[in-house]
Amino acid sequence: MLADMLRIAAAMWKLSVKLKGSPGDDGHGGKAERWAKRVRAKPDRSPRWRPTRPSTLRVKTFASVNVPPVVYEGAMESVSPFQSLTPEVNYSPPWQDLSIIGIAGSSGSGKSSVATEIVKSLNLPWVVILSIDSFYKSLSPEEHRKAHANEYDFDCPESIDFDILVETLRDLKKGKKAHIPVYSFAEHQRQPQTQTLYSPRVLVLDGILALHDPRVVDLLDVKIFVEADMDVCLGRRILRDVRERGRDIEGIIKQWFAYVKPSYNKYVEPQRRISDIIIPRGIENLTAIDMVSKHIQRKLQEKSEKHTEELRKLGLIAAKVELPPNVHVLPSTPQFLGMNTILQNPDTQQDDFVFYFDRLASILIEKALDMSTYVPTAVETPQGNKYLGLNQNGTVSAVAILRGGSCLETALKRTIPDCITGRLLIQTDESSAEPELHYLKVQQGIEEHSMVMLLDPQMTSGGAALMAVRVLIDHGVRQERIVFVTCAAGETGLKRLTAVYPKIQVVVGRIENEGEPRWMERRYFGC
Amino acid sequence: MDSKEQGVGPIYRPDGEKPTATVSKEVSYENVHVLPQTPQLIALLTMIRDGRTTRADFIFYSNRIIRLLVEEGLNHLPVVEQSVTTPVGRAYLGVKFEGKICGVSIMRAGEAMEQGLRDCCRSVRIGKILIQRDEETCMPKLFYDKLPADIADRWVLLLDPMFATGGSATLAVEVLKEKGVPEHRILFLNLIASPSGVAEFAERFPKLRVVTAFIDQGLDDKKYIVPGLGDFGDRYYTL
Repeated sequence: MLADMLRIAAAMWKLSVKLKGSPGDDGHGGKAERWAKRVRAKPDRSPRWRPTRPSTLRVKTFASVNVPPVVYEGAMESVSPFQSLTPEVNYSPPWQDLSIIGIAGSSGSGKSSVATEIVKSLNLPWVVILSIDSFYKSLSPEEHRKAHANEYDFDCPESIDFDILVETLRDLKKGKKAHIPVYSFAEHQRQPQTQTLYSPRVLVLDGILALHDPRVVDLLDVKIFVEADMDVCLGRRILRDVRERGRDIEGIIKQWFAYVKPSYNKYVEPQRRISDIIIPRGIENLTAIDMVSKHIQRKLQEKSEKHTEELRKLGLIAAKVELPPNVHVLPSTPQFLGMNTILQNPDTQQDDFVFYFDRLASILIEKALDMSTYVPTAVETPQGNKYLGLNQNGTVSAVAILRGGSCLETALKRTIPDCITGRLLIQTDESSAEPELHYLKVQQGIEEHSMVMLLDPQMTSGGAALMAVRVLIDHGVRQERIVFVTCAAGETGLKRLTAVYPKIQVVVGRIENEGEPRWMERRYFGC
Repeated sequence: MDSKEQGVGPIYRPDGEKPTATVSKEVSYENVHVLPQTPQLIALLTMIRDGRTTRADFIFYSNRIIRLLVEEGLNHLPVVEQSVTTPVGRAYLGVKFEGKICGVSIMRAGEAMEQGLRDCCRSVRIGKILIQRDEETCMPKLFYDKLPADIADRWVLLLDPMFATGGSATLAVEVLKEKGVPEHRILFLNLIASPSGVAEFAERFPKLRVVTAFIDQGLDDKKYIVPGLGDFGDRYYTL
């Protein structure tokens, strides 16, 4: 049962897409302009997504995003042996088990609409549509000129950098975050900046040649081919380009017969044969779309069951052992016990609660700082006496897991007044007990910091903590530099967290009952 | 007589990986409590010992040590069992603080510890004692005191950051005892103590508890603590 509580779902990932530069005549069937419209038309989402709302993210863009590029170091260490235990702990978070759906089909066949429709019917919190067009190769000046004269072939496989695409998909499939190239259609160049993408729960790969490269095909869970009559495709393309771009029909037709049509026969159409599902009449075929989404849901359910089973096993292992040595529970001194009593007494006034919480949290932070690294330093007192002491080594920073984590900030500022503090908003979906990442702002250079404290006043199942540690590791923070600081935690959650991440340190004020709901932040903030 | 240098570090680090620093001397008096020599505490003490540390930093870091001292000191106060029903409806067997307390600072340096005390005990009553060295006799002399009227019923946290010869502290304790405070209800909090001061004091007042962050190497010929940190009051208030 406990294992069920820790069903960590893939989190939501919010990237707000900003549009930079205006697309010119790109000689590309007006794709750039259409996408620009699509991106613009999407209103900025509120950070509090409801998981019930179908939310898709268009990575399909030539614009930059407001997420700073982060250096990723090494492979993820999510699978680690748990101390001296014999059974290996094989926990892979669900976002490490990404499902990829490839959707191929002719230009104008309605792939993108089908993709959107599928995502809508899946009704999942974290689904990303990735367009293969982000992976176009940069053009030389000569090719660039050709492109503007409608003489460059954007429809052949050579125009796409499949190597990078394969690498990206492999990274995502492993649960690593990936850097999606940003392609400018105005310049026909890959931009120096990239877009950071966390491994989502489901990724829809959309492109005329989505099923072309066998290496890509190997990574796909579902292969879909959208079919439409070629006349219909041409008709759609003409209508769209003329209406939305004011392009002349001659140019469109020239490109169609020179590149699009031959490429269809040569590369696109053969993909039918290897697809799992062929959707005739594209977007109009609601029955087919419904079938596809049911199929995907079934696959996800299987994965979810596997994950629950894994967590259950992890829980069983955790139940057998004492708290590991990297969990530091504060000694129950009379004062500490007394403060805990005041905090847990519902009769305690709000101002007293805040006062004693801050006092208790200060002790936790001081304790956490003992985990930091120090170097010997000789100093001279005003009288000229020498003393061999210690100096804290490097920068100590913190990341608050919101909303609760900000309760600990008063205590943090008492100890390090100018502490660099990043923020993560993780909300646990009450119905599914799955933590969801809603917002992330992590300090620059965090991978260089000698210690990063993760602040959360209460930890129950460990779901949010697992996710937060993962996010830090993703940002290049070494596991042994992470110190998780919490006022109260359940034993199973602690064991789970340290089984998955055995090198982190955990500072805990008090071991609380299993399955205790979060209430501390509500008391602290009074709402 | 030399102080001990040893590896200081979190328990989870192997001995070879702990950085070396000078730690507090150990004393064998039951009523003397030295704070655990954690790397964090040593680093804080290093900051306030360093002559180059600015006044703002000196105040900040000494306040942090003082809070640790107060927290440790308060742990010597009595508590009684108390069970509560938590906001989520569970029973929790905890404790309740018992007895009234007050702070008494030995002016001027002791007043620097009042902020740290207030950080842990809001609205705590604070009495003051002014003791100066008599120029003629070279002995400490009581110049002024203002203490809570009901001090005899309270636990007293006596505050003075530097504990060198213990002359002022001894006189302060005598004043408190005269006011009716039993010896066992006095806790003397200080940052840095001298081994001889501590020893003399512990023997003289066996029931009184001393809580200190560090016992230094000794005293120089001017009776200053070595290595010490200079004049605490000056560094906190005026330099």
